[in-house]
Amino acid sequence: MSTPEAGLLVALVGNPNTGKSTLFNALTGLRQRVGNYPGVTVARKSGTCDLGDGQKVELVDLPGLYSLAAASPDEQVVIDALSGNIAGDRRPDAVVLVVDATNLLRNLFLASQVAELGRPVVIVLNQADVAKEQGLRIDTELLSRRLGGVPVVLSSAWKGEGILDVRRAIAAALDQKAVLKRVNWPADIAGALAAVGKAATADTGKQVSVADAQRLLFDTNPSTAERLGWTVAQRESTLRSARDRVRYSGYNPMAAEPLVHYAHLRVVLEGVVTEGLGKAGQTAAVDRLLLHRFLGPFLFLGIMLGFFASVFWLAKFPMDWIQAGVDWTKAVVAPQLDAYPMLQSLLADGIIGGVGAFLVFLPQILILFLFIGILEDSGYMARAAFIMDRLFSWCGLNGKSFVPMLSGFACAIPSLLSTRTIEDPKARLATAFVVPFMSCSARFPIYALMCAAFIGPLYGPGWESLVMVGMHCVGLLFAVPTAFVLTRLVLKVKPQPFVLELPRYQMPKPRDVVWRMWQNAAEFVSKAGTVIFAITIIVWALSYFPRDASVAERIKAANPTAAEEVVKAKVQAAYVEQSYMGRFGKAVQPVFDPLGFDWKITVGVLASFPAREVIVSTLGVTYSVGEGAEADSQQLRKAMQDAKWSEGPRAGSPIFSLAAVLALMVFFALCSQCGPTIATLAQETGGWKWAAGSFLYMTTLAWIVAMLVYQGVSRLT
Amino acid sequence: MNLEAVIVGAIVGVAAGWLIRRWLAAARRRKEGGCAGDCGCATKLKPKK
Ligand SMILES: Nc1nc2c(ncn2[C@@H]2O[C@H](COP(=O)(O)OP(=O)(O)OP(=O)(O)O)[C@@H](O)[C@H]2O)c(=O)[nH]1
Ligand SMILES: [Mg+2]
Repeated sequence: MSTPEAGLLVALVGNPNTGKSTLFNALTGLRQRVGNYPGVTVARKSGTCDLGDGQKVELVDLPGLYSLAAASPDEQVVIDALSGNIAGDRRPDAVVLVVDATNLLRNLFLASQVAELGRPVVIVLNQADVAKEQGLRIDTELLSRRLGGVPVVLSSAWKGEGILDVRRAIAAALDQKAVLKRVNWPADIAGALAAVGKAATADTGKQVSVADAQRLLFDTNPSTAERLGWTVAQRESTLRSARDRVRYSGYNPMAAEPLVHYAHLRVVLEGVVTEGLGKAGQTAAVDRLLLHRFLGPFLFLGIMLGFFASVFWLAKFPMDWIQAGVDWTKAVVAPQLDAYPMLQSLLADGIIGGVGAFLVFLPQILILFLFIGILEDSGYMARAAFIMDRLFSWCGLNGKSFVPMLSGFACAIPSLLSTRTIEDPKARLATAFVVPFMSCSARFPIYALMCAAFIGPLYGPGWESLVMVGMHCVGLLFAVPTAFVLTRLVLKVKPQPFVLELPRYQMPKPRDVVWRMWQNAAEFVSKAGTVIFAITIIVWALSYFPRDASVAERIKAANPTAAEEVVKAKVQAAYVEQSYMGRFGKAVQPVFDPLGFDWKITVGVLASFPAREVIVSTLGVTYSVGEGAEADSQQLRKAMQDAKWSEGPRAGSPIFSLAAVLALMVFFALCSQCGPTIATLAQETGGWKWAAGSFLYMTTLAWIVAMLVYQGVSRLT
Repeated sequence: MNLEAVIVGAIVGVAAGWLIRRWLAAARRRKEGGCAGDCGCATKLKPKK
């Protein structure tokens, strides 16, 4: 799809969670991420929209915001887009204001501010289906007239209703260029605004618009002044006397803007909405229970336990099928290549063993994301954030830290990007620093492998889900004190109010949930086919070479009477141990010895730096090469259960003791080892200092805690 | 040098080359202020000048 060259540009603007991205998708046919909580979209995204008559315009989806007094980076994106500040970007030719039809007064505040920009406007009253259900009737014609003749249309973007009306309304707005009726400022405020505009124009030599003058007068945040290049020395006395003038007229200068706008809007909305009989939302009643001070956290914990238990339970059979498929492929492929042992090992041990070990987790990942999607879309996820708020406000983070932290359980990278919703740069930094502690879905396969191979068989399925919940809490457990120290002692962040607006409860929308799951599955599979695939090949090569014939001869000479099978196994094991990987792993292993890791785990830990999931395929490869391809179609799980220390003080005892299994999981829960996360952290914090700090801190912490777990548990058992 | 070693060598070489190229491209995209395409961040950012 191509963007029309220098064509018309239309921007979607509105409060968070009103359905802008949903409408954007409906208008452009694209699939921009939507979600039932505020702050989903954090950057601009553009697409081509047909206006119904063949005319095409470029449409941009923007982050949501409540007011033009922008404070956070994502809100700044909107301000920049509206004023055309981004280099190479034009000012939009029309603005589509997406308004929640069930909450006109609050939503139209932003519209009223946008009016000051003097751009042609379309007002879309979205979520009309919900308004109808609540029995609200909205007189769009009256509203349109009151607002100065701008098109006002009802739509249900999610159901695809009213989309054609929106297209036509955009065409009409571009054609007729109707602008929103502006508020009538009281004389003194108008005078103060004029004075500010005049002084700024004189000082900077730039044309300062009415809208800019308002930002200069009403906001404490200096971004507008900085953009215009109006220095503190130049503006200080002008702003002080202008604000004094506002104060003498009876308004607090910081509150004058909303007061005047709301007074204006009350008049505009007079008689526009009639309330009929409808189902009042049950949100309040449900929230009394789910957000209960004491019950809430327990219900949350219960939901999470049930969540993981069902992930395991539902995924069991599909996982066994995939495992069987992998084994079958190996059994079919390996004998074909008996004449070519090297190629045979590459295919059977490397690619099938490594990538197969990873692919087995596909069903769990699918179900995991299905459930996350359902919890998110229903509106519960945002409540979970709210429950945690008490904990988090204590440690100096605010409501806006939750969305990033919550989505950190899927992946740290988009979460780091979504810290852009946080105004205070220091609070943003603190949040970005603790986001990687959230247990991302890439850590899931190693937990799942350990649970399936050890926790489940030893202690039963109940413990599996308990350990799973535990592992997801470990990160949180350390994130909280970290955030506390960082915000209170290091960065000294000012405490901020909780600002997360709780979304409405709704029936999860199968289309959105399934789409989300599908996307994650596609990503998982494509990762298996690309990064994991390539790394696995390299890990295989390093574990296979060198292959000096003398190694085999030495083993044969040392065991002249042993059965052929036994000798073969010994030869394979000897080869892996003296491979590049084996030598390297053994050289580094002493570092991880106090954690109970053998050289294969050590290698897995180090090789999973590019992507955490690699640990599973690395274990798959090293165990597979060490066993020999032709002999078995043994599963990784079984091989790990049987693995024993071959030398040192622990010789003969199992490598994967309970202590080592727990230590390995805890290490993965806490360590910082995904390269892309660190790179993104550097990008978002504007330098490598914090990224390097995060890496050192998390890795050291992981080492210490895993060591304590190993030493503690091995003394107890 | 037999054919088998050449084939295996080529596969390993291609895998390594591909990984390096991919990481370089990701680093470049990140520097431009966009997202490097990992973990579902399909949203490309416009670089802020
Ligand atoms: N019932 C109903 N739900 C809708 C409608 N439009 C959007 N939604 C839902 O509202 C929620 C928010 O939608 P988004 O499109 O992500 O909202 P947004 O305005 O882009 O949100 P931010 O990007 O966070 O500012 C999603 O759960 C949608 O499914 C609608 O017309 N009717
Ligand atoms: Mg959005």
